[in-house]
Amino acid sequence: MGDLEERFPRVEVKRTLARWDLELHNVRSPILRYGLSAACVAIAFGLALTFQYYQFRDVEVPVFTLSIAIITWYAGNGPSVLAVLLSMLLFDYFFIEPRYSFDISSRELPYFFTFVTWGIIVASFAAVRRRTEDGLRRAQEELATRAAELETANKELESFTYSVSHDLRAPLRHVVGYAELLQKQSSSVLDDKARRYMAMILEASKRMGSLIDDLLSFSRLGRAEARKTAVNLNQLVREVIAELGQDTKDRDISWTIGALPVCYGDRSMLKLVLANLLSNAVKFTRIRPRAKIEIGCADGKDNQVEVFVADNGAGFEMQYVNKLFGVFQRLHRAEEFEGTGIGLATVERIIQRHGGTVRAEGVLDQGATFYFSLPRP
Amino acid sequence: MDTLGRILMVEDDPKDVELTLTALEDYNLANEVVVTRDGQEALDYLYCRGKFHTRPNENPAVILLDLKLPRVDGLEVLQQIKADERLRMIPVVVLTSSHEEKDKMRSYKFGVNAYVVKPVDFHEFVNAVKELGIFWGVINEPPPGSMEKLP
Repeated sequence: MGDLEERFPRVEVKRTLARWDLELHNVRSPILRYGLSAACVAIAFGLALTFQYYQFRDVEVPVFTLSIAIITWYAGNGPSVLAVLLSMLLFDYFFIEPRYSFDISSRELPYFFTFVTWGIIVASFAAVRRRTEDGLRRAQEELATRAAELETANKELESFTYSVSHDLRAPLRHVVGYAELLQKQSSSVLDDKARRYMAMILEASKRMGSLIDDLLSFSRLGRAEARKTAVNLNQLVREVIAELGQDTKDRDISWTIGALPVCYGDRSMLKLVLANLLSNAVKFTRIRPRAKIEIGCADGKDNQVEVFVADNGAGFEMQYVNKLFGVFQRLHRAEEFEGTGIGLATVERIIQRHGGTVRAEGVLDQGATFYFSLPRP
Repeated sequence: MDTLGRILMVEDDPKDVELTLTALEDYNLANEVVVTRDGQEALDYLYCRGKFHTRPNENPAVILLDLKLPRVDGLEVLQQIKADERLRMIPVVVLTSSHEEKDKMRSYKFGVNAYVVKPVDFHEFVNAVKELGIFWGVINEPPPGSMEKLP
């Protein structure tokens, strides 16, 4: 049961009473259970006799009721009843006046009834507690089974996605290849309209190629192992901006980089997060004469750090904020801004794998800010 | 070197064969290309056995190897070639659709000389094939013994 907590760190698994869990909970053999019940009462009886010999009265009640509680807890309801009955008889015969007989003098009657009532109460509490424990354990087992099933289903889905994208690439390559050859071969005999149709076929095939490639790498992300280390975000940001140099050399971009904390995660995945967010910011601020992109961190909750990337670009309407992070979801037309719509979905997936969350705020035609949170090292 | 080395292409999909050959022809690199359609045929060719038992006993200058092949698959062929004294000098270029890390890992473990993933974009594909053809067929000096008869 130890790995349950490793796999579900946010689920608190109550373990205190499980430590008292003996194998007896699952013992079905009635002989063993009833036998143990009798043995336990016998031990209690022996103890009570010993105390009696040493003139300690009133100890036999706790001793018997303790044995009843133990029996109910470990052996179930049947043996519990046996324990109560046996205790009752022994108590009557050996400890109630007149001793060594089953008669009860009227003076001792209340005492006797108190004993019996007390015994039954203890047994009931123990039974209820035991049922709750059983219920909890069954719930935990079910949780573990469900978790395992979910993991298997997830893995299968990942394999499926991968193999579909992978197998689609070959025929797509052929479509693109032969279309290009056809275009080259027959461009002299095709009229303008036909040439345009040809170009459309090629464009559509290439688009399909990008989608498949994006889907492939997205799916690969789900199957990759995350190697977590302490990551210096400032350094990562600098690297990403340097790599974006090609796309930004003719642009007027003002970069404001705040002090970012060191956080805990997979370096290459986090680099991909920053690359996607920053390249988006660069892309959507293309319409501005002077782009302003700011990266900083805000106060996250407890042990998390929240980083944001803000730009003064095309922005978006908040009513569509829930669509932003969907796979292949786009809020702009292809002719306005290019892209397949996988960037933010990738960001969300990576951040979720790190146990964090993503969110976004935007105002149409003014700008957008994207937030992601990560655990501190 | 102004003679073109022989290229052995191991590829089962006829469309891929045609596209690759067309790309090679465009740059006059297709003078001597032998195409085998699966791993078994490729090995038969290299060992001059089966239907190739009458061919002159010369190693190709480079092998373009696809991984997904029927019968004996690409990685097995690679493994056998690199394990054999007589054949392991032949440069092998894996030309495949697979990006898979484990395919790459195993290919390099067996000693592949290059691993190229076929691009979807045709221009890029043609370019890659051309560069491979020029490098391995013209620029690179094939291992000695490629042009001589082996015992």
